[in-house]
Amino acid sequence: MKEKIIDRGHYVEVPVPAGATLVPAGQRLAVCGPLSGSCAYALEAGASLDLCLLAFPGESAGTELTVDLLGEGAEASLSGLYVCREGEYSLKVTVRHRVGGCVSNQLFNGIVAGSARSAFDGRIIVAPDAQKTKAYQTNHNLLLGLEARAETRPQLEIYADDVECSHGATVGRLDEAGQFYMQSRGITEKEARVLQMISFLSPVLEHVPEGRREEVAARIEQTVRSL
Amino acid sequence: MNENDILLEIRGLHASIGGREILKGIDMVIRKGEVHAVMGPNGAGKSTLSAVLVGRPDYVVTAGTVTFLGQDLLALSPEERSWAGIFLSFQYPIEIPGVSITNFMKAAINARRKAQGLDELSPSAFIKLMKEKMALVQMKGEFAKREVNVGFSGGEKKRNEIFQMAMLDPTLSILDETDSGLDVDALRIVAEGVNALRSPEKGAIVITHYQRLLEYIVPDVVHVLKDGRIVETGGRELVDFIDRNGYDGFKA
Repeated sequence: MKEKIIDRGHYVEVPVPAGATLVPAGQRLAVCGPLSGSCAYALEAGASLDLCLLAFPGESAGTELTVDLLGEGAEASLSGLYVCREGEYSLKVTVRHRVGGCVSNQLFNGIVAGSARSAFDGRIIVAPDAQKTKAYQTNHNLLLGLEARAETRPQLEIYADDVECSHGATVGRLDEAGQFYMQSRGITEKEARVLQMISFLSPVLEHVPEGRREEVAARIEQTVRSL
Repeated sequence: MNENDILLEIRGLHASIGGREILKGIDMVIRKGEVHAVMGPNGAGKSTLSAVLVGRPDYVVTAGTVTFLGQDLLALSPEERSWAGIFLSFQYPIEIPGVSITNFMKAAINARRKAQGLDELSPSAFIKLMKEKMALVQMKGEFAKREVNVGFSGGEKKRNEIFQMAMLDPTLSILDETDSGLDVDALRIVAEGVNALRSPEKGAIVITHYQRLLEYIVPDVVHVLKDGRIVETGGRELVDFIDRNGYDGFKA
């Protein structure tokens, strides 16, 4: 989807959060972990941020993540997974494209089981004159059980006219066709569910730094088996 | 011929989906060593027959029995049917992103071994088995690492089905329109894979609309399915008859 909205009237400049981690021009920062609470990053020209949020059950009640793209050519890759078994989990992501020529990519997948509730609130703000912005956002949620609830609110606020932005959000259940395909190969119903959940979270796993991927994959498997 | 030769016995099978009756009384006996072709026009119920035999949950059997090697097949779950030795090559194989062929097959093989009270296959024995069966359908080494059916061409998907069939070594294989969307080379690879698995103890049902696949996999018995019923059963000469005359001459 290509968004073309020009409306300078509603654009409000807000300051970069005081405690934000600055990624200096041309530098790269990689972060991977639960990232509980408030996290803010500000990227100078040509800087890049690779962030991977891993919220396993009971480790985090939520994250509020803010990323400011301050200089041309900055790139933010934001990904993450959340697995909720009980209680509430909220993820609020705000990406502000303050100048043009930056790229932001968001991919957040969550599994919500039992009586848990999740809320994803994702905002992309593209400032006036931040032309040639590329900003993408995806949030997929997998519900297990009838009591689980997932809320997703993708929002685009675009004040420039030459940008490429997209967002996609889904809330769904395990795929019956996939389930049956696996069972027809002798994989038990329970094991097929495990494989489907691993499959669902796998796009996020690709964003985990290579040195930690095996460990995180094992953690994912152990977690989804317990659901 | 005696009772012990019978692999699969279908009697008076009726099945429906969403309240609509598709199979209206199917009778079929498959003996060990036999390959049966089920041919028929679109909408005859060919795929429904295969779906019912492997226990797809959206189909409801309303009457009839299916006995496989003496046991009541319809009482078994899809995975139990697989463990018992039934395999379906899907017309439209499903993609499973993030799950490699290796992990998928490991899960399948070990689930069956567990159900049979056996230990998991050793990693070296598993790799050896994978290599052997990949060679059968001319799949190269990297195939094992690919995600199940993700980004596969039509031919690769069907070869992957035959590969899985070879891995699971079923007693009764059901090929549902395995020829659809295949070019001649892929068709030959698939057919050679299937033929290599033929044995006097096993059987197969080849479901197809066209005679093309049956030039490569020669059936012992041919059934014509039309409007949910088998309207004709004969030898391989029936394939040529259909090729020349189509299905219009058969009365449902």
